[in-house]
Amino acid sequence: MAGKKVDLSVDFCVIKFENPFLLSSSPVSNSAEMVAKAFEAGWSGVAYKTLNSDRVRIVHPSPRMNPYHYGSKRLVGLQNVEQISDRSLKDNLLDFLYLKKNYPDKIIISSIMGFSNEEWAYLAKASEDNGADMLELNFSCPHMTIEGSGHKVGQANHLIEKFTETVKKAVSIPVLAKMTPNITDMTEPALFAKQGGADAIAAINTVRGISQIGLDDWTARPKVAGIGAISGTSGPAVKPIGLRFIADLAKCEQLGLPLSGQGGIETWIDALEYLLLGSTTVQVTTGIIHYGYRIVEEMIEGLSDYMVERDIERVADLIGKALPTLQDTDKFDLESQGVASYDLDRCVGCGQCLIVCNDSAGQALEWDSQLRRPRLIEDKCLSCMVCSFVCPVSGLISYKPQPSDWQRRETAVMGEQLEAELKLAAFK
Amino acid sequence: MFVNTSENFTGMTQGFGLDQAVAEAERCLLCHDAPCSKACPADTDPGTFIRKLRLKNVTGAIRTIKENNILGGACGVLCPAARLCEKECCATGIGRPVEIAKIQRFLVEHSWERNFKVFEPAAPNGKSVAVVGSGPAGLSCAAELAKQGCQVTIFEARPEAGGVIRYGVPSYRYDVNFLDHELREIKELGVEIRCNAPIRGAGEAENLLQKGYAAVFVATGLWDAARLNPEVSNVDGLMTSVEYLASLRDEQFEILRNKLKGSTVAVIGGGSVAIDCAESAAKLGAEDVYLVYRRSFVQMPAEEVERIEALAAGVHFLLLNQPVDFVINHHRKIMGLRLVRTRLDAAVGSGRRMPKEIPGSEWVLNADIVIEAIGNQAESGSQNWYPNVAVDRNRLIQADAETRQTSVAGIFAGGDIVRGPALVVDAVNDGKVAAKAILEQLSQQEA
Ligand SMILES: Cc1cc2nc3c(=O)[nH]c(=O)nc-3n(C[C@H](O)[C@H](O)[C@H](O)COP(=O)(O)OP(=O)(O)OC[C@H]3O[C@@H](n4cnc5c(N)ncnc54)[C@H](O)[C@@H]3O)c2cc1C
Ligand SMILES: Cc1cc2nc3c(=O)[nH]c(=O)nc-3n(C[C@H](O)[C@H](O)[C@H](O)COP(=O)(O)O)c2cc1C
Ligand code: SF4
Repeated sequence: MAGKKVDLSVDFCVIKFENPFLLSSSPVSNSAEMVAKAFEAGWSGVAYKTLNSDRVRIVHPSPRMNPYHYGSKRLVGLQNVEQISDRSLKDNLLDFLYLKKNYPDKIIISSIMGFSNEEWAYLAKASEDNGADMLELNFSCPHMTIEGSGHKVGQANHLIEKFTETVKKAVSIPVLAKMTPNITDMTEPALFAKQGGADAIAAINTVRGISQIGLDDWTARPKVAGIGAISGTSGPAVKPIGLRFIADLAKCEQLGLPLSGQGGIETWIDALEYLLLGSTTVQVTTGIIHYGYRIVEEMIEGLSDYMVERDIERVADLIGKALPTLQDTDKFDLESQGVASYDLDRCVGCGQCLIVCNDSAGQALEWDSQLRRPRLIEDKCLSCMVCSFVCPVSGLISYKPQPSDWQRRETAVMGEQLEAELKLAAFK
Repeated sequence: MFVNTSENFTGMTQGFGLDQAVAEAERCLLCHDAPCSKACPADTDPGTFIRKLRLKNVTGAIRTIKENNILGGACGVLCPAARLCEKECCATGIGRPVEIAKIQRFLVEHSWERNFKVFEPAAPNGKSVAVVGSGPAGLSCAAELAKQGCQVTIFEARPEAGGVIRYGVPSYRYDVNFLDHELREIKELGVEIRCNAPIRGAGEAENLLQKGYAAVFVATGLWDAARLNPEVSNVDGLMTSVEYLASLRDEQFEILRNKLKGSTVAVIGGGSVAIDCAESAAKLGAEDVYLVYRRSFVQMPAEEVERIEALAAGVHFLLLNQPVDFVINHHRKIMGLRLVRTRLDAAVGSGRRMPKEIPGSEWVLNADIVIEAIGNQAESGSQNWYPNVAVDRNRLIQADAETRQTSVAGIFAGGDIVRGPALVVDAVNDGKVAAKAILEQLSQQEA
């Protein structure tokens, strides 16, 4: 195993990345001093913290983030009200030059946000002139304190098209459009971006949410001088939303653009899920805020080992591989039914399965209080599997398909004796 | 292969499963500059392998352990981790240390379960190296050299490989099957282990250099037991810890077990080896097992957990008693131990409190079996195997701390034969250190 080598490099908009793992635009990519450390750790590129043109002074609210903890698990989500870069454009561009000089094989994606056609073009050109390999148009920041910016643009399709077109005219490097998830259907704005000339789509930016309300001050967090706000949620809690939007975009044949997935990626498994749903590159912020740049080592090694074990030579052979089986729910074969199956030799006798089956499922378990073991009444089992979700012993409860002639018992009717009192006429 | 089975003499307790290991890894604080990693004598790097497990890079976690410590499984089971890596764990500051050794053991066992192989045989570099002794030090050195392409031959005096971890540590603490897994990995690296192949002739260890081996690593350990009275020999029922523990592991096992059943056993000593002797005798059905020690409980060199486990296994701790002589009948059968009670003098400086015999307090402890476990030493005459290698007055080989090079060029040494009684993890490190120095020397010779 150790001897075999796999190729983690990917081609994304005709640019070669040594691996699919990039920093996303955020505090983790705020300066060259930081990005250099990330490159040393193994990240193949950076979507640099969104540049501003110095037209207005950017000040970050203080404090700017709030963690979403769940029990002993820290940072399952992260709430932030951070603005785009508060550094001067000059300082940021000097940092581009430094990075390009010292890390010529790493890829710099310049994230920009303007307020007018001219400003978008200006930032795009300045980026290209100072070493940016690509651009990422930030149409998606959910909490800019300045009107006419961020996700407001992301929700106005004509602006997306117009600004993308402006940028494309100003530069020759590839252009990504970064989309907000705070809409129902992302393919629509993505198609407008494509119409404007976008070469790829990045998604998702943060999801508008509230992670916590202070119980003493009745104020949402983060609390900025007494004021809370609906703001951007990121981290593992938003991964299902990110995966969903990536899948939507990948499935949209009319779009047909490469994708850069993000939202809740911490491990190689999260990254692989994004790849399997059609991302070519993936981006990370909250995972780094939680664990540091070092997590990329685990992504590289974990993904490599996975590929070696399965004899997959190139990352390209993984991209979109989960899409063919991803169908609308009306494609499900409802004839196919099953039940839960219990390996009771490993049971420790906690009875959580009984509680959830009683209170949220098929009433399909009996409890032997002497032995402290559940007993499954198979023909009452809904195969919803909630018992397996709470069982503390992994793999003890599994799904068992049933033969096609198998019948599930009808749910008990408690009011059988009360038919005389029933007031019901058939629906016509 | 000989396998001993007995209801009382159970195999190793089960280690962590995946869920437990992951839950335990969740408690890790993923420290910057992980202090646990600095505290591991063999640089097994727990800070890294736990982080890898935490970030679902399970194969990487296994690789970290095995690349750093070829006996990572043995160490996970046998290390007194509470005073090594786990002692430095920052999580102690908010509760209790992460159970690092158990996570390590799990990861190694998990690699076997999912048949994940870390190594592939290296391309041969044309160099041959001889290793004398297949204990942890010899195995570690051999594996390290083989990984770099050396052709390594281990010469082992005993019928099977492993040293103390095969012929010393009782099976309820460390299973031979477990050892065989780790041995297989070492053999798969291309290491040849010749058993029943002692290097005992005059100058034989040094002569290996003339037989085409570019370097020799001596790791013969400590296999002579210290004796209360070396004059006394051939007494039925009187044995040394070395003889006793080795019998637990070979064809003598059934005979020994029948002897122990219902008997009264006295074990002399207060170290880990004495505990292994006493606890195993109790587990094998001895009616009464006395651990006879001349100081008190807290002065015993054995690890605290070991002492408590022995107490729980039913061993009677006979503290503050100094054995003075054996009681032997005219059939040359042991009948008991003559003891004198002691009290502890005040400690001098930082030393341990010394026992002082109480005059007139002599008494006899009746015993059917007496096991002497008062220390292991280098075999008498072992210096003749390598006559030009400098040894100290305890016949321990003098080897450089940085390179484990002895006074003879090309001859290296490590493990207990250099350190005196130490730990598996120390032996592993010596093997690594010596291998690195040997490889450096070989590449210099080439240049
Ligand atoms: C009973 C007991 C319990 C222990 N428990 C623990 C524990 O729980 N945890 C821990 O960390 N440490 C423990 N130790 C200490 C640990 O086992 C040793 O520190 C370690 O085994 C030393 O390794 P080594 O390779 O130097 O020597 P050994 O393990 O002694 O191996 C030396 C090998 O060399 C062979 N040999 C000797 N002479 C020759 C020769 N002339 N030619 C060829 N081969 C030869 C021997 O047969 C043996 O196989 C214990 C020790 C004992 C005795
Ligand atoms: C504190 C913070 C600041 C961010 N700033 C920006 C930004 O300036 N520009 C941008 O495009 N995205 C910004 N993002 C969004 C991230 O780039 C990323 O899209 C999002 O957090 C989802 O990924 P994650 O779950 O890996 O964090 C920011 C996120 C956080 C948490
Ligand atoms: S992480 Fe650093 S910058 Fe942020 S609050 Fe702590 S010390 Fe200050």
